[in-house]
Amino acid sequence: MKISYFETGRYVPPPDLPREWPVPPAAYDPATGAEAFRLMAERVRFVEQLGFDWISVSEHHYSPRILTPSPVVSAAWLAARVPTIKIALLGPIVPTSNPIRIAEELAMLDTLAPGRIVVGLLRGTTNEYLSYDLNPSEARERTDEGMELILKAWNEPQPFGWQGRYFHYRTVSIWPRPQQPPPPTYVLGTSAEAGAFAARNHCGLGVSYGTFESMGQSTAYYRQQCAQYGWAPGPDDIIYRANMILGETDDAAEDALNRRDKQAPFPVRAGLRDALLQADTTRNIAGEKRPANVGGVLPISFCGGPDRVVEQIRRCRDTIGAGVLDLSLQDPGAGDTDAMMAGLELFGRKVLPRIRDI
Amino acid sequence: MANSETGTAFTEGFVEADGFRIRYLEAGQGTPLIHLHGAGGMRLTRGHDLLGRAYRVIAFEMPGFGQSPENTSTATMAALAATMAAAVTNLRIDRFNLLGTSFGGKAALWLAAQHRERVLGLVLEAPAAIRPAGTQPPSGTPEEIARRLYAHPDRLGPLPVPDPAIQAKTRALVARLRGPDRDAALEARMRDLATPTLVLFGTLDHVIPPEMGRHYKELMPNCHLVFVYDAGHAISTERPEAFAEVTTDFLERHEAFVISRTGTVIHP
Repeated sequence: MKISYFETGRYVPPPDLPREWPVPPAAYDPATGAEAFRLMAERVRFVEQLGFDWISVSEHHYSPRILTPSPVVSAAWLAARVPTIKIALLGPIVPTSNPIRIAEELAMLDTLAPGRIVVGLLRGTTNEYLSYDLNPSEARERTDEGMELILKAWNEPQPFGWQGRYFHYRTVSIWPRPQQPPPPTYVLGTSAEAGAFAARNHCGLGVSYGTFESMGQSTAYYRQQCAQYGWAPGPDDIIYRANMILGETDDAAEDALNRRDKQAPFPVRAGLRDALLQADTTRNIAGEKRPANVGGVLPISFCGGPDRVVEQIRRCRDTIGAGVLDLSLQDPGAGDTDAMMAGLELFGRKVLPRIRDI
Repeated sequence: MANSETGTAFTEGFVEADGFRIRYLEAGQGTPLIHLHGAGGMRLTRGHDLLGRAYRVIAFEMPGFGQSPENTSTATMAALAATMAAAVTNLRIDRFNLLGTSFGGKAALWLAAQHRERVLGLVLEAPAAIRPAGTQPPSGTPEEIARRLYAHPDRLGPLPVPDPAIQAKTRALVARLRGPDRDAALEARMRDLATPTLVLFGTLDHVIPPEMGRHYKELMPNCHLVFVYDAGHAISTERPEAFAEVTTDFLERHEAFVISRTGTVIHP
């Protein structure tokens, strides 16, 4: 089992910060922001020393919950400051982006930090489409086309044009190219469409936050699709991103779980949330319909002392088949970084050595 | 996608060349655009209709295909190209644009190489002139053929049922004319063929892998390669608007078609 730490650029919010998305820029404190990014590199150095395999970064906008609108900038910053750990971009939100720009920037990163970059290509949760004015009903198709174009831009040796539905380019010819073969690439999502795309293009699959059973449904569908295309993914081809509360004992972890803020950090207001849910009705797990995620409270998938968590990780591996766990040891947006650092340290000492052979 | 309206603007004609009576369908005004079809024979698509708005489109049924008598005399693809050039001449057309689809793409390349001064611009739709070793044309049941030809056969509605007699005579002709997967004689001519050329491949082509497109670009001095997203081998059937837009733009502007004319103003 490989372990990744999900680094969110923790902006420690003052108690009087407005709690609703979008958070007004006037409330932003530059010194707190600078500190968040300085500590980001420090934490990544720390988990590297603890023996984590990867760190991951993501794309989110307009609030301090996750202070990284550009995963590429995060990755470049971290790659330059931390010597060896792999950096997973999980990931650029494809339907709101210029796919060629994504292809170029990832190729540049892959050249700056050869062998260290891992790529996840993401449709994004429905609330993300508010940032750059994307019609939610077009997100699925834009994502599929954008991903295909990114892979083509990396792999096609001659200049080409792209006559798409949503993207149109007469000349694509990127420099630098990524390393050949290009970096390990995952499609991020639980849907049948994500599984089928990943299988057809020999990509990995990244699933997140659902129960072991529902994520197992998604990865089973993906494996079935891969078989149709004549290949079998290994454990390293499946990432599971999840929240963990780890304590010295099960009771300590349960106490922390009970103290957890039950409100989503920086949610959109209720009327907008309901409208978003109505605007995006195509979400599914392996073809089984489910409501869209619009930025609510994320579940805790692992909770306990080291022994219990090791058992949970074993069950996760059996049920989902994931060979990479991408973990948050505290909710993004929560201010208590001391507790998170203690959790990371405990994980490195008491859990990591016991899950390598899972 | 074909529907009951497809091809209604086209009228039928016949022209003599090299002892063959060659059928063609014609629509539109302007610079002639000659189309040479694929191994399955001539079938009009919505792509033809859209091209007919900008060009005088002449879609030939090459000798031995469709209802024409069996063709046992044409020995090579170069000879077929010469016959088609003679047919164009006999329509009293001197200079023209040329579109070749799949098998017809190879014929079009030969024709352009034989008559460089006459072909204004060349568009190759999923051309079969360069193929991975061992590539076979689609065969089998109509469903099996559809799965090779189209990315999304389920979206096309009922497909025409092929006539076994036509299939048999066509298959023999195609087998005789298609030539080797890498045709050294043709490729030698492609190296100095300066005709403005556009090569189109569907990203989901299951007959000729779209990766073959790069070879045209490597060989030909004035070649552009464009991938048509989510189309299979039959690009003009599955994504006719995308096919016609890039074809028309290229034939109008040649290499300057890379300069965007798409406006982005939202509210002036």
